[in-house]
Order: sequence, then C-alpha cells, then structure tokens
Amino acid sequence: MEQDAQLVQQCLQGDGSAWEELVRRHTRRIFNICYRFTGNRTESQDLSQDVFLRVYRTLGSYRSAHGGFATWMTSVTRNLLIDHYRRTKRDRITDSLDDAMPMVENKESAGRRPDEQALLGELSGQVQSALTRLSPELREAVILRDLQQLEYSEIQQVLAVPEGTVKSRINRGRIELARILQQMGVRPS
Amino acid sequence: MNWTCEQTEARLSDYLDGLLQPAEQSAFNLHVNICERCAPLVAGVAHTLGGLYALEAVEPPPQLEIAILTATLGAPSWRNARRWLRSLQSPRFVYSLASVAATIVIILTASGFSFRKPKMADLRPATIYRNADKQAHLVYAHSAKFVSDLRVVYEIQTRLNENEQNPATREQTIPQDSPGKQPGRTDNTNPSAPKQQNRSDELGRNLRVLAAQFPVVSGSIGERRMP
Repeated sequence: MEQDAQLVQQCLQGDGSAWEELVRRHTRRIFNICYRFTGNRTESQDLSQDVFLRVYRTLGSYRSAHGGFATWMTSVTRNLLIDHYRRTKRDRITDSLDDAMPMVENKESAGRRPDEQALLGELSGQVQSALTRLSPELREAVILRDLQQLEYSEIQQVLAVPEGTVKSRINRGRIELARILQQMGVRPS
Repeated sequence: MNWTCEQTEARLSDYLDGLLQPAEQSAFNLHVNICERCAPLVAGVAHTLGGLYALEAVEPPPQLEIAILTATLGAPSWRNARRWLRSLQSPRFVYSLASVAATIVIILTASGFSFRKPKMADLRPATIYRNADKQAHLVYAHSAKFVSDLRVVYEIQTRLNENEQNPATREQTIPQDSPGKQPGRTDNTNPSAPKQQNRSDELGRNLRVLAAQFPVVSGSIGERRMP
C-alpha cells in the first residue's frame, strides 16, 4: 500500500506519530496470524510485540520496490513464528505425552478464560484446534491463503518458495486439516 | 477425459477455488459422483474450508498497542515530549522565535544595555527609559550634525563648480604664489571685511589655495573631473 510506504519514510525521518499509525493499522492482522498459528492469546501477544520490535529495528531495510509493506511484515511474522515453533518444539512434545484425545474436549476443559471459551465456539474452535496440529509449513500456507486471503504471489514472497510449492502446500494443508477434523469427530453435515 | 483419484486429490484446491477448466470440471464431477473414496474427501475439505472462512478475526487485547509503542518509542510521557519538541521544528515557530529575539535585541541595544557587561540594574524600566531617552537625544544630535556637514560640503562643491564654469572669475579669485606670504593667506584678503563670513566661503578659499600650492595634485584632480 502506498500509504504504508509513505508512513515508513516518515518513520525513518524520526516521525513517531507515523510509527504509531503503522502500529494501529497492522496490530490486529499480525495478532490474528500469531493467534491462528499458536492458538494461544498470551503467546500471540508476546509474539506480536516481538514482530513489531523487529520491524521497528529493521525498518531501514524495507524496500517498497520489492513488495508491499504488509507482505514484508507478514514475512517477518512468519520467520518469528517458525523460530518460536522450533524453540518450543521440545516443550510441546513433552506436553503432548500428557495430553489425551479427543483434543477439543481437553482444550475446553483446560481452564481457559471465559472470553477464550466463547471464542472457541463450535466449528470455529474445532478448526482452530485442528490448525495447531498441522505441520508448521502447511499451517502457515493455509493461514495466509484461507484466513489472511493473500494472493499466491504474495504467499510465494512471504514463504520464499516457488508458486507450485505454495499451491501444493495449500492443497495438502486443506486435506490434512479435513483429516484431523474427521479424527476429532467433526463430520460434514 | 479420464479422471483419477490422484488427480482429484492434487487438483482439489483448484476445484474449490474454481480454477479448473470446464472440461476438467466435468471430469472431476463425474469422477467424484461415482468414487467412494473421493466423495467424502471433497465433502470434508469443502466443510473444512467453510469452517476456515467462518473463523472471525480475533480482537487483540487493548493493551497490546500500548505495549508495542512503549517497547519501541518509550513511555507515553516521553512520546508526548518528543512530539512537542518535534512541533517546535516547524518553520513558522522558528521565524516567530527569530523575530522576537531580534526585537528584544533591538530594544535592549536602543536602551543602552551592554551585552558584554550585562547588569540587572540595566534591565529596570526606569533605567531603560532613561537610557533610551539619552540614546534618542544622541541620535538626534548626530543626525543634526550630519545634515549640517552635508550642507557645508554641498556649498563648497557648488562654489567650485561655479568657478570652473567661469575661468575669468577663477583667475581673479586664485591667488598668485608669493613666497613672503603664509600659506592660506591671499592678496585679496580684506582685513576690514566683516567677521561674520560664511564658513563655506572660507573653506572654499582654503581649497583653492591648496590647489594653487600643489598644482600636480590639482591637475590630477582636474583631469579626473574631466569627462
């Protein structure tokens, strides 16, 4: 977006209010990507903050000629999410040994906050749970395409893989997600 | 067109996104309608996609924006201070500040305030008034003297021009060089002339005497005056 590039220029000239505007414009989107990837509000909040910190520090490296600011920011988010996934992998393996199927019931009884309980209503909650069980490379492709409604070319830019790979990952991600939902007892009406 | 289960799985997203060609679409539909393996797969993925699209955007906690801004720009009070300082950088403010500073300097200078040895006493209104009054009188006196001097110079120049235009008069007026006389004294000196002589006349005479005494200098002056 042209306006984003303009705001970035103003930021680089030391205009704090331009940075505030950028934060205001992108916080919701970045938080949603993080939340859909991790399925946890607290983690998503921390990760969103880390994304903005990194963006703020590396703002000078952004080139509007190479793509939109939103796409660039999504790339930063994706890299951080993958880093986070790798860092917490061991913890998740340990946790998964304690977890028993079915997943949805466990999640709902895991002492979530009331607003999170409301958020995980019916199918939406089940889809969110299934999403977190997808492999990270399929998960990110599905989130960017089906939740963030990004074009294939934009996803290709964010993931830095060929368009054929993007299409394949999205397709496999959707099929895998359907299988997980079926395992969870969710069947199409 | 023959359609296989592998093709169905590989092209499922294209089918759901409406990217298949009409012939492919027909073959896909034909295969799915008769295939026991592919029919539930297509239905399951379509249902999943519906579930994904039904996911609503989650509202971030309100404190998230504040936390991000604090982590990047600092505390709100510091941000406000920075914003205020930034507003001072506007050209309008700088011009206003410069004109106010210039006005203060002019007033202080006019009141006789010494910037080298500043004293608090010089900033009292009574002192400023007294100094300003004194400065005003001095300026008036200097101006009056300057105008008077200008008048004298103008008078001298007029006389010199008159003499140049009238050579006969000049011959009469220019004194002959006489060794017994003191410089500045002429033969035409009339001792009985009234003492209230015009000052300009006297200066004019003196200049003419000087010209006669130093012909080279006067010649060069004359050459310079020639057009």
